Amino acid sequence: MRVDPELCVGCGECLVYCPVGAIQLNDVAEIDQELCVECGDCRRAEVCPSDALIYEAHPWPRSVREAFSNPLAEHKETRVPGRGTEEMKTNDVRGLYGHGTIGVGAEVGRPGVSCNFHDVEKVTMALAKVGMQFAKDNPVTTNMVDTKTGKINPEIMDERVMSAIVEGTIPIEKLADVIKAAKEAATQIDSVFSLEFIDRPEADHSVPIEKILKEQGIACYPNGKFNLGLGRPLVQ
Amino acid sequence: MTHTLHRYGKVDTLNDDLVFLSMSAKGFANEKGSGEKMKKTLEIAQKHNPVNIGDMKTGNILDMSVDEIMKNVVDTSIVHAVFNNIEDAAAFAKEVREADLGISLVISAPFDRAWKVSDMAGCTGHTIEYSGGIWGKTEKLPAPEVLEFTTMCGHGMISHYLVEDVIKRVKAGTMSPREGSLEIGKQCCCGVYNPDRSEKLLKALVDKK
Repeated sequence: MRVDPELCVGCGECLVYCPVGAIQLNDVAEIDQELCVECGDCRRAEVCPSDALIYEAHPWPRSVREAFSNPLAEHKETRVPGRGTEEMKTNDVRGLYGHGTIGVGAEVGRPGVSCNFHDVEKVTMALAKVGMQFAKDNPVTTNMVDTKTGKINPEIMDERVMSAIVEGTIPIEKLADVIKAAKEAATQIDSVFSLEFIDRPEADHSVPIEKILKEQGIACYPNGKFNLGLGRPLVQ
Repeated sequence: MTHTLHRYGKVDTLNDDLVFLSMSAKGFANEKGSGEKMKKTLEIAQKHNPVNIGDMKTGNILDMSVDEIMKNVVDTSIVHAVFNNIEDAAAFAKEVREADLGISLVISAPFDRAWKVSDMAGCTGHTIEYSGGIWGKTEKLPAPEVLEFTTMCGHGMISHYLVEDVIKRVKAGTMSPREGSLEIGKQCCCGVYNPDRSEKLLKALVDKK
């Protein structure tokens, strides 16, 4: 995104709409191209009285900024708008998680801090070391040069994005190791990440991973996501 | 992953924040023709007093008409509906189950409420996702009361600068809590923002001053 200095009237209305604080006001508004994650939020706000915010499609590698930041952009690999995979949203049909296989994710940059791929790689490499199997159709995975080590394509390392979701699966017996690795990675990054865990409930509503999460000092939110099991054909 | 997972706040403000999404599994048997089924899901949602509706590919009702959203729903869409009480949420889920659409339906809510909705709607919970909190340089985060607003958009499209600006204007009396809530909510394009919860949060902040 850029500001057309000929059109901008310098009103500053757009400034607060940028989630990463990339717009400054001098005589006219200017967008810091290093900080801008190409999310398009400023333009979608429709507060510019002179239509001075200009969208530009960028070539590789800057193109990853929009792909990981603009929720209306659809990743070519997944055909899913947004940043991750379908994960538990369609687990009632896909059957990826449950019966001892746990879904684990770390959304780097979330909430609202943004990140670059140096931060993302610190998380992917830490999780790869403890045996995380990265989700094949995830946009972070498709930008790895080695899914065994979690190494990211060096061409995109300096690109800033709103957030990037590292997703994968792990056998339940390795969950404690994954949590320890994630906590260690948290001390290495210049951003934040939000952690997530997926499992299936037992008939008595208990969930196998709850005990492990508690033992590992993960204080889960009281709220979360719950697949009601209406997809067909249903995976038992 | 995530999207509606990491909504931050005290349980009492989350209890009236029940968010649904519906989609088909890409490459699986229920994908073909699922756009029409998602439209049906949104039609059902409209009967049960939703406070927001949206499609990730198009936008939300705070910023456009429901007809515009409906006409753009396709097989790769992910549609959303937000409710501000458990009765409407459960009635919606029950009617969707009875319609037997065959596409996935996910609720984000406090887990005790999610189980209750599941039971009231005659569903059996299939899969659960937990948020394990925020890790790393948490000193970069805005204040907790601001996070309650910003985390209602899963894609980070609600700027904490905007929330702080709206709070200031509402406290100054130049904007009503409802106006402030809608101004923030329109930035969450896929329609998972809860403007009623947001309005209550703004009123509480004004009362605190």
